[in-house]
Amino acid sequence: MAFLIRTIDTTADGREIIRDRKVDKDVLTLGRAAEHDLHLPDLAVEQYHARIEQMAGGKIRVEAAGTLGFHIDGRISKSAQFPAQEGAELGLGSYRLLVSQGTDGPVTITISQTEGRTTSSSDALAGFSLGATLPGKRAMAWIALGVIMLAFLAVPIFTNLTRTPVPPAIDRPGQVKMDASWSSGPLSLAHHGLEDNCEACHVEPFQSVRDETCLSCHADIADHAAQPRQLAARGPMSTGDDIQWAIAHQFGKEGPGSCTTCHTEHEGAGRMEPTAQQFCSDCHGSLDTRLTDTAIGNAGDFGTAHPQFKALLFTAAGQTKPARISLADQPREFSGLRFPHKMHLLPNGGVARMAGNLGTKNNYGAALVCADCHTPTADGSAFLPIRMEDDCEACHSLVYDKVGTTFRTLRHGDIDQMRADLAAMDRAPRVPAVSGIIPGRRRPGPFAQGGLYYQNFGRPAGSLVAINRALAKDGVCGECHIPTMTNGRADVLPVRLVDHYLVKSRFDHKAHKQEKCTTCHGANASENASDVLLPGIKTCRTCHMGAEDRSAEVPSSCAMCHSYHPANAKDHPPLPGKGKQGIGDKVALIGRADPAQRQLDRVW
Amino acid sequence: MASVPGQEMNSREQRQASDHEGFLAHRNMRWLKIAVTLCLIAITSYLWIDVTPRHNGGSWYGYTLGTIGLLLIVWLSLLGIRKRTMSPGRWSLKAWTSAHVYLGLALVVIATLHTGFQLGWNVHTLAYALMMLVILSGAYGITVYAALPAALSNNAQQMTRKEMVEALAAIDRQLETAAQPLGREESDLVIAALEQDTFAWGIGARLTGRYRKCATIRALSYFASDWSRPVGSEEPKDKVRALLGRRKSQLDQIRRHMKIKALLEVWLYVHVPATFALLAALTAHVISVFYYW
Repeated sequence: MAFLIRTIDTTADGREIIRDRKVDKDVLTLGRAAEHDLHLPDLAVEQYHARIEQMAGGKIRVEAAGTLGFHIDGRISKSAQFPAQEGAELGLGSYRLLVSQGTDGPVTITISQTEGRTTSSSDALAGFSLGATLPGKRAMAWIALGVIMLAFLAVPIFTNLTRTPVPPAIDRPGQVKMDASWSSGPLSLAHHGLEDNCEACHVEPFQSVRDETCLSCHADIADHAAQPRQLAARGPMSTGDDIQWAIAHQFGKEGPGSCTTCHTEHEGAGRMEPTAQQFCSDCHGSLDTRLTDTAIGNAGDFGTAHPQFKALLFTAAGQTKPARISLADQPREFSGLRFPHKMHLLPNGGVARMAGNLGTKNNYGAALVCADCHTPTADGSAFLPIRMEDDCEACHSLVYDKVGTTFRTLRHGDIDQMRADLAAMDRAPRVPAVSGIIPGRRRPGPFAQGGLYYQNFGRPAGSLVAINRALAKDGVCGECHIPTMTNGRADVLPVRLVDHYLVKSRFDHKAHKQEKCTTCHGANASENASDVLLPGIKTCRTCHMGAEDRSAEVPSSCAMCHSYHPANAKDHPPLPGKGKQGIGDKVALIGRADPAQRQLDRVW
Repeated sequence: MASVPGQEMNSREQRQASDHEGFLAHRNMRWLKIAVTLCLIAITSYLWIDVTPRHNGGSWYGYTLGTIGLLLIVWLSLLGIRKRTMSPGRWSLKAWTSAHVYLGLALVVIATLHTGFQLGWNVHTLAYALMMLVILSGAYGITVYAALPAALSNNAQQMTRKEMVEALAAIDRQLETAAQPLGREESDLVIAALEQDTFAWGIGARLTGRYRKCATIRALSYFASDWSRPVGSEEPKDKVRALLGRRKSQLDQIRRHMKIKALLEVWLYVHVPATFALLAALTAHVISVFYYW
């Protein structure tokens, strides 16, 4: 038996060259080695790869010689057998061996080579470039463009337009998706609850934040002044401001004078930024030229253009309402009290001795100090009103009687009650506590004090004398109060003390606690209760100058002491222990004294 | 007669000299001067103008800088369209490119001052970051365009890219023939080396020049470590080893070329997509500001 081996080669121009040769063998060996019947010069083919055997009955058997198999009709195999008539296609490396047998002809093996390995393809030159390995610039560009447009524009706008509007609330998350990415910075702490709810303030698309939106929460805020007056008072704008506002109005901004003119947001978590001095001085610097009837003095800068302070004072007996009087007029206060500060503060006077005697159990030192009588408020910003019982009575005792070991004390502030107490004192037998007031009778034996028949027969008239004496100029009441007659009866003048002298501004004592009281208040030289111990503006200016004065210890803008919005009691429910504390709750205090801690306390 | 060639040389040199004035030095660095002036004006006015409470993109000054920045960005990105038509003259492409580079760099100052240094996790800062990415990639591009073409021609050693590929193919044909007597394992190593696509490498390998899975290096190290036979004997393995060595050096040249090309081209793959992303973010930035006005 024999094989007909037909080799097909392809020339460079695509022409096929067919060579036939006959091998008179039953078994053909094939491999890469040249000695084989079928020499297949392909590195993928083994040196001796397989053998092909013609078997009886016209069958062909293909057997792999080594561990590497071959393809037969597309499947890999190591051993195969098939009728020669049917034929088969063997694959070894890049070679195709078509085995077939025509009628009565020899078994034909047609060898052809599929395209060999190509390391240099036609696009080799392009391969040098990065374009061969990276996705196209254009594709990347459009994908990036699309993603950003979708996430940061389409999603927020779509969810904004399709939402159902609800009234704003501080604790409600917003309905608009992805608009957090639009926030240019965190909100101030006061508005922190709205951080996630942009549409609470930005109600309509392309419309700037309206005053009415602010007022939907801040409903009780009062106007700085009546609108027409406020507009009349506004100073002339600079050309730059004029142009700015002209442009701003083109873009639909409200103002000037709208909430957002002063209150800028998205400036970072913290306190809302205080308003710049210029916002105030634009109008107030030359207010009298436009508001000729104004009672307010011009104020453009604390250091250089600010009127002297006006204190709220009672200046005469019988005055029922206090009046604001400039400290420049050197007013005298009439409080209805006689109180020389100097005497109380002398380090070696009688008061000091008494404080020393009362000693530390009453928290007194060797002499009286301010804090022995003046108690700060809980926040330290101001002082509680002086109360006789708490602040004076430790020395100025109202004890008038002793029963057993218990002292009886007159009730302060109620003259009728005092009369009754003193008048009733004689009706019961007892040892008089104060011989100066109620002299007891001395009798011997069982009639003596403590004896069986002892009785205090004091006449009621004695009490009346004592009452009148108490209310006299040198009596126990007259020691501090000014005696008077009311409806023919002895009385004292009512005491009128103001809680806050400076009611149009806010002074924080706590921020000044590194100073001594006497630095500003000349109490230790004051011999008369009518002395007004408030420091004038000159004293303040030793540290505080205008906002622009960088050489000052504390550059101070208007907002450090003044509030733009007038106090409104409805703004906040009364807080425990705060009482009425002069002007209310919207005064911005700027603690610039300590630059390391420019935290701005909001003082109620 | 002798003077004529000399004159010719002179005029040619002159022409060459003027041709060699790159876009960076165009017109005695006119656009550099303009850009520096612009930056100085911006910085001075930033320090001069007292915006309360603090500098911010939302102040009038911020809006002014923002508008300038926006116009610059749009104009700068138009180079992509402009570069496709070359034209001489005052608005020549060279002048345009020169302005593109210097005004683009000036944008760093203008846009940074526009932010008032208030950055956060939002679309506004995204636009800023993308802009900085575009500018930095552009600056990188200028640097490599100035430095690398020389390296490219050094490496080529007067071979074209086509010649490099053909040289490799010639080595491969010899290698295939020389490897015929080899055993299975060794043949497979040679096949792997031959079949590996020279250019099917990612950007990492191209940029670093480290081809960890290179079959040629693997085959070479196998044959080179097989020192059982004296070097120079007629063994086919020696021939294969020599051919693999030649293949390796030819590959090295191609890879150096690829590396330099990659370094030259990679910035555009950042610059161009980031520009489009920037235009998108910029649109979102502007619209969002006025939407939540």
